[in-house]
Amino acid sequence: MARSVANARGGPRERDETDAARGEESPADRSGPPALAIDGLTKRFGEGDDAVTAVDDVSLTVERGSVVGLLGPNGAGKTTLIKCALGIVIPDAGSVRVFGTDVRDGRRTAYADVDAMLEGARNDYWRLTVRENLRYFATISGVDPDSVAARHDRLLDRLDLADKADTPVRDLSRGMKQKVSLASVLAGGAELVFLDEPTLGLDVESARTLRAELRRLAVEEGLTIVVSSHDMTTIEAVCDRVVMLSNGRIVADDGVEALLDAADRDAVRVASPDLDAETVAGLRESFEILDVDREARPPAVTVAAGGDRFYDVADALRAAGVTVSDVRTVQPDLEEVFLERTGTASDASLGGESP
Amino acid sequence: MSADATPPEEPATEGTGDAARAGDDPRSATYYHLARAVLYREFLIFVRYPANAIGGIVVSLFFFGALFLGGQLLAGQALTDSIEGIVVGYFLWTLSVGAYSSVSNDIGSEVQWGTLERHITTPFGFAPVALLKGVAKVVRTFITSAVILAAMLLITGTRLSLAPVTVVAVAGLSIVSVLGLGFAAGGVTVLYKRIGNWLNLLQFGFVALISAPVFDLPWTRVLPLAHGSAMLQRAMVDGVRLWEFPLADLALLVAVALGYLFGGYLVFQYATARARRLGVLGDY
Repeated sequence: MARSVANARGGPRERDETDAARGEESPADRSGPPALAIDGLTKRFGEGDDAVTAVDDVSLTVERGSVVGLLGPNGAGKTTLIKCALGIVIPDAGSVRVFGTDVRDGRRTAYADVDAMLEGARNDYWRLTVRENLRYFATISGVDPDSVAARHDRLLDRLDLADKADTPVRDLSRGMKQKVSLASVLAGGAELVFLDEPTLGLDVESARTLRAELRRLAVEEGLTIVVSSHDMTTIEAVCDRVVMLSNGRIVADDGVEALLDAADRDAVRVASPDLDAETVAGLRESFEILDVDREARPPAVTVAAGGDRFYDVADALRAAGVTVSDVRTVQPDLEEVFLERTGTASDASLGGESP
Repeated sequence: MSADATPPEEPATEGTGDAARAGDDPRSATYYHLARAVLYREFLIFVRYPANAIGGIVVSLFFFGALFLGGQLLAGQALTDSIEGIVVGYFLWTLSVGAYSSVSNDIGSEVQWGTLERHITTPFGFAPVALLKGVAKVVRTFITSAVILAAMLLITGTRLSLAPVTVVAVAGLSIVSVLGLGFAAGGVTVLYKRIGNWLNLLQFGFVALISAPVFDLPWTRVLPLAHGSAMLQRAMVDGVRLWEFPLADLALLVAVALGYLFGGYLVFQYATARARRLGVLGDY
């Protein structure tokens, strides 16, 4: 059954679109040094008792052409890690190499191939038009804007901004502003792009479009993208690989599918008006009950039932005289993987308050 | 630079990384392109949002009108005798305030917008960008202050020597020192965001610098504006031409301008470096 129906957040995911793009992925240029190589990066803020270790001895390599997600709650160190990689924050220890160039030593040359969309920032000039922004920031990142005019047209086309090319950014909707910000980051042809919470504050529809576009851009433009987010949906939809951060440390680093598979928690959620306490108690004797939702209409129970165990569940339900209204498979999402890895209780879920 | 990603026919310079993509032939931007981009942006904002410039002109003229009419009531003939000096001083003050606040406010806004980092992480380095922005601000300030000057001359019925080369050179070099102060203030704003607004009060201090007693206290000439202000008075009131000034005066004018510009830039540089260590650069 499709994973989409089992999404904990309710809304369907745009797996189909992004999965299609994922399938097309051509083997990216893997020659030469990796796009990003972080080694033993440590950054502390403050001094003495108040000191906070934002990033704690993190090592990470991102191959060219891959899309890597940095997942973790606010305060996990995602933004600091990105800012260190950009040279905006100077680390206390460790090194960052971008396409083989040390960010600290040869910053200027490293900058030519890197750009970033930082969380909560406008990143562009609202009083200039969309196209003026692309031209300006292409120049700032070292590219003659006339030589990439065709690329800018293509970017605007893809991001559905072509009609708005000559509109000042301030007159656009929030979702469009976010897309302009993304376009301005891509305008100079940076090959390694950091996107910090790219869908933050967007409505469901805009976030969905942006995610789909991110995936397409990564594939078609051969970009290396590092996306940080506390939103699982974004990471699952866009990334090949997830690096989970908690308290400044990496707690998991693997492919999205691998992480989900490793969680091995395939289950079915059965809904029926016949599911009373007695029936559930009966099921509990033979099966692992993961969740009982008595508030649901009709009530529902989630039973661990990977593979052929499903038939046993069905038999047991029939024996108990339960008429099933709805059955869904429940697959783990990254949130569960994350909670498992960090051992955090679910009330300390992702997306907590900023530090 | 990922040199290996750059095709051999491309010069091994920055920003040519995506040459492999179909339909693109990215060329490296030169300083010419950078200058064009920065100046064009300033120009666009100036012509597209004239309300800011007009508002500044109106406020300046209102203050001058109040000063002039109030002064006439209080001082009468004494004011009329020194009106030329007051017009020249006020002209230089509007120039200074324009240059200073545009630079320091600009840095403050760019911090807020998240665009400052993008200028700091440019392959050109921040210095040329900042310098070009400074030039753009000075040009812009000259345009608005010229309007104010014309209006002041009309209101007061005063005549001044307006030899363009002399006035632009002397006034321009005078406010370059203020530009340096603007960079320093901008740097402080990057570190301590709240202090930024208070630094705007500094512009009232410029009045003291413009009217500094350079003849009684010669050391005040090394302060920003003071020496330039004295020279501008001679140029505009007494009609002294640029080439008629003693070489030492001109040299001091240039030295003070460059000294403060360089010093201000160093403060900015230090502040952003510190901000990067503290991790406050790019905090919104």
